[in-house]
Amino acid sequence: MRWNAVAKGFIAVMVLARPAQAQHLLMPMDDQQANHLKAYGITFSALTDGIRSEWLLNYRGGSFLVPDLPSLRRSAALAGVTFEVVDGARVAQIRKEIADGNMDAVPLEKAPRIAVYTPPDAPPWDDAVTLALVYAGIPYEKLWDDDVLNTDLSKYDWIHLHHEDFTGQQNKLFLGFRDAPWFIQSRDRDLATARRHGLADIPALKKAVADRLRAFVDRGGFLFAMCGATETLELAMGAKLVDIAGPFSDGTPMDPDADAKMDWSRTFAVQGAHLEFAAGVNAMSDIDGHQVNVPSRRQPLGTFTLFGFSAKFDPVATMLVQDHRTVIGDYYGVTTSFLRKVLKPGATVLAHEEGAPWVKYIHGSYGQGSWTYLGGHDPEDPQHNIGAPPTDLALHPNSPGYRLILNNVLFPAAKKKPLKT
Amino acid sequence: MPVAGTLGAQESPATGAIVARALDAESAGRNREAIGAWRTAISAGAVVPGVLGLERVFSVLAQEESLLVALDTLVPLHPREWQIRSVQLRVLTTIGLDTRAARAFTEWRDLAPTDVAPYREYARVLLFNNRAAAADTVLRQASEALGSTRALLLEIAQMRAGLGLWGTAAEAWRDVMTEEPYYESATVWSLTPAPAEQRDAVRAVLAARGVPLGATQALALLEVAWNTPRNGWTALGALAPSDTVVAIWRLFADEVERVRAWSTARDALAAIHAARPDAGVALRGAQAALAAADPVTALALARSAAPMLDETHRNADALPIELDALARLGRASEAEALLARAAQALGPDGVRSHARTIAWAWIRAGDIPRARRALADAPLSAEDAVAGWLALFDGDLATARGALRNTDVPGQDAVNALALLNRTRLERSESIGAAFLALARGDSSQASRRFEAAATELPDAASLLLTLAARIETARRNEDRSATLWRRVTAEHAQSGEAPEAHLELARASKRGGDLKGAREHLETLILDYPGSALVPQARRELDALRMGAV
Repeated sequence: MRWNAVAKGFIAVMVLARPAQAQHLLMPMDDQQANHLKAYGITFSALTDGIRSEWLLNYRGGSFLVPDLPSLRRSAALAGVTFEVVDGARVAQIRKEIADGNMDAVPLEKAPRIAVYTPPDAPPWDDAVTLALVYAGIPYEKLWDDDVLNTDLSKYDWIHLHHEDFTGQQNKLFLGFRDAPWFIQSRDRDLATARRHGLADIPALKKAVADRLRAFVDRGGFLFAMCGATETLELAMGAKLVDIAGPFSDGTPMDPDADAKMDWSRTFAVQGAHLEFAAGVNAMSDIDGHQVNVPSRRQPLGTFTLFGFSAKFDPVATMLVQDHRTVIGDYYGVTTSFLRKVLKPGATVLAHEEGAPWVKYIHGSYGQGSWTYLGGHDPEDPQHNIGAPPTDLALHPNSPGYRLILNNVLFPAAKKKPLKT
Repeated sequence: MPVAGTLGAQESPATGAIVARALDAESAGRNREAIGAWRTAISAGAVVPGVLGLERVFSVLAQEESLLVALDTLVPLHPREWQIRSVQLRVLTTIGLDTRAARAFTEWRDLAPTDVAPYREYARVLLFNNRAAAADTVLRQASEALGSTRALLLEIAQMRAGLGLWGTAAEAWRDVMTEEPYYESATVWSLTPAPAEQRDAVRAVLAARGVPLGATQALALLEVAWNTPRNGWTALGALAPSDTVVAIWRLFADEVERVRAWSTARDALAAIHAARPDAGVALRGAQAALAAADPVTALALARSAAPMLDETHRNADALPIELDALARLGRASEAEALLARAAQALGPDGVRSHARTIAWAWIRAGDIPRARRALADAPLSAEDAVAGWLALFDGDLATARGALRNTDVPGQDAVNALALLNRTRLERSESIGAAFLALARGDSSQASRRFEAAATELPDAASLLLTLAARIETARRNEDRSATLWRRVTAEHAQSGEAPEAHLELARASKRGGDLKGAREHLETLILDYPGSALVPQARRELDALRMGAV
């Protein structure tokens, strides 16, 4: 009798938990979506729970298709994510539409393990990526110099860098903030880390960290960088054997021949850039087209346009530009953009400003891995200043700029498919 | 361009006429003509006015670089003329020729190594261009070269604020005001952007013992700008009154009235009146007190002003405030007596104009028949809101339903009453009347119990009545009873429009009590079971806050 009741209850649970016959939830990512950013979080949590999902590239803004499970319906409803229940026939119709156009369905199989390179005491709002991850409910681990130098980074699929200065010059903030307590504290902390690792100064420490990150990509990792981390990582990797740091950071002047001694074969994206030698000029090189911290060179903000790619032949680039807008307002960062003339031929431009000599968003492969750079600090805070209040993403649930960040978070989950010929 | 050797701009009538013509052309927006006229003025000897004029006109035309040729000629001719040198630095910096600007500064500095002007002017140009760090370098050079930066305090203050060094910027501004007390507005402008976590450093400097009066005034105005006006009055109110201090208090009172910080305005105006008795100030203080829901102080200030006014002004300006304060205090007999004393001077029409206030006084006192009697000589139209309230207190819901729609400025009570009257079709209810009367008398405990009791009588409005009771208890911070009432709404009226609010309030109460799981459950129920509720976005925010707090 008791067994019977238990069995009946078990069957009832099974029936309830099972999805309706071939039924799916479609999370549209066009203007019908109420909360684009949290849709990434729902898809990510499905993957974390072992639920296979699909990313429908170029279909209604890059929609997500997940099995119709009560837990997913509940999560989506709680997050305010718009979904449509689609039956088997509708899914077949969608697949046919995808097959006939510049679209593709990419299976998403496993939630990537994410790490963010950020100081231990940095709040989430210091970095657009951690802001987006926290808002979307995507878990991540924090890494800092000790972790990068002591940890096996291969346990992560995806590492993000934001506005840290890998040249070790602390973004040249000594110009304006040398007496500020937070500046002194961060300088002392980095110097102590350098000494712990037997390195002479902060530039040496950051070069060692940059080298580990380069090796991480070389061995198959995905690296995403924004803001000043893009430019300074390139410079630090290329300057392994040359002093490019000003005297205020390591006590010695820059090598006067530093420009000529840069080894651009070690960098991901850039070649032939020129270093900024003036200690009083708050710029690292001529990589950035906007030079926001050099008033006489500062370029005004415009808009940038995302390129379209062939979803079936170039799925990675297509994933990275999935958006419900193709023209997006630009925003400043320590590094805002990348001059086209210093990019390596192998770098794929994902977004550019029409008619301008710079591009905004680039991607490429290195070794077995890949890197993506997005210029600027915060897509919803174009003029971001130190000390400005944090962006409240609840007010920007449809931010097209933040979608670019989350595309990068999700794309390592995609299963590689053989290219069609 | 021929250039005269002297700078005596308007020595001769002829030169004066040229300058006047140039100014006229500039004022009229005839820029091309103005450029020609200013060039002629320079040739005629009015070099400094001419250069400044050209700078203004070229700036309007965004052609600052056009001035460089003239400056290249004029600067060598007048190498020590600080105004021409300043123009040169401004123009070079504006058009981005930083290296040339730095060179021009160096030349000027080397020419006059002990003169503060080159450092001061270049630092100002850099600060104007948001280059605080570069200005810092120039000011440090000044310190080394001159041995003191006393003459550069203003620039140092601006530079430190530009660098976000708020505490030391406040120190520099304090020193500036020791020398020149009229810089308090500049201080406020400069220090207002200090972020919240840095403001205590500014406060510590500007509130220290022995600071100049301007520093205290600046701190008080900063507190207003930082949305903490009460702190501002704490700083100013401690000063011993003198003519200067009272003048500062008056400026502060104007400012806090502007930002509608009524309780602070009340205190400032009361202090001014105490120090320098003034009926106008006392009445402003009384109005501020009424706006701050402080009828006791309002009454005291109005009564203090009354003897200083002639009868006409007393009845026109002080009497209405006194009556209003008495009505709010429920001191209806006093209000009636006061009005009676002024009746002869006011005349019948004047008395009638205060009948509504007297009626309100009786309502607050809980005596509805007397309220009606107060209106006997000033019959209200059936559409008058006061008539509506009286009908509601009587339980006449039908009359109240029509009249309360005409409430001039609907307060929360009126909104609640209208919501209830629109929910039920009942024409009469003594218990509803008693509940609103208790609310009008300020007896929130009784009002809450009566609303709860009325829920049984009016099943079509039961959820709203329970909600009104629960809101009162929530406002009274009576957690147990408010939770009981909110739970009744969710359990007995789960389909009502009030159920989402009940879940939200229960979530907040759970969170306050440390029950985060309970809070999450209520928020999730609100979002999932009431997807059309206007409270869903708020519930999502609070759910996110719970989740992020847990990370």
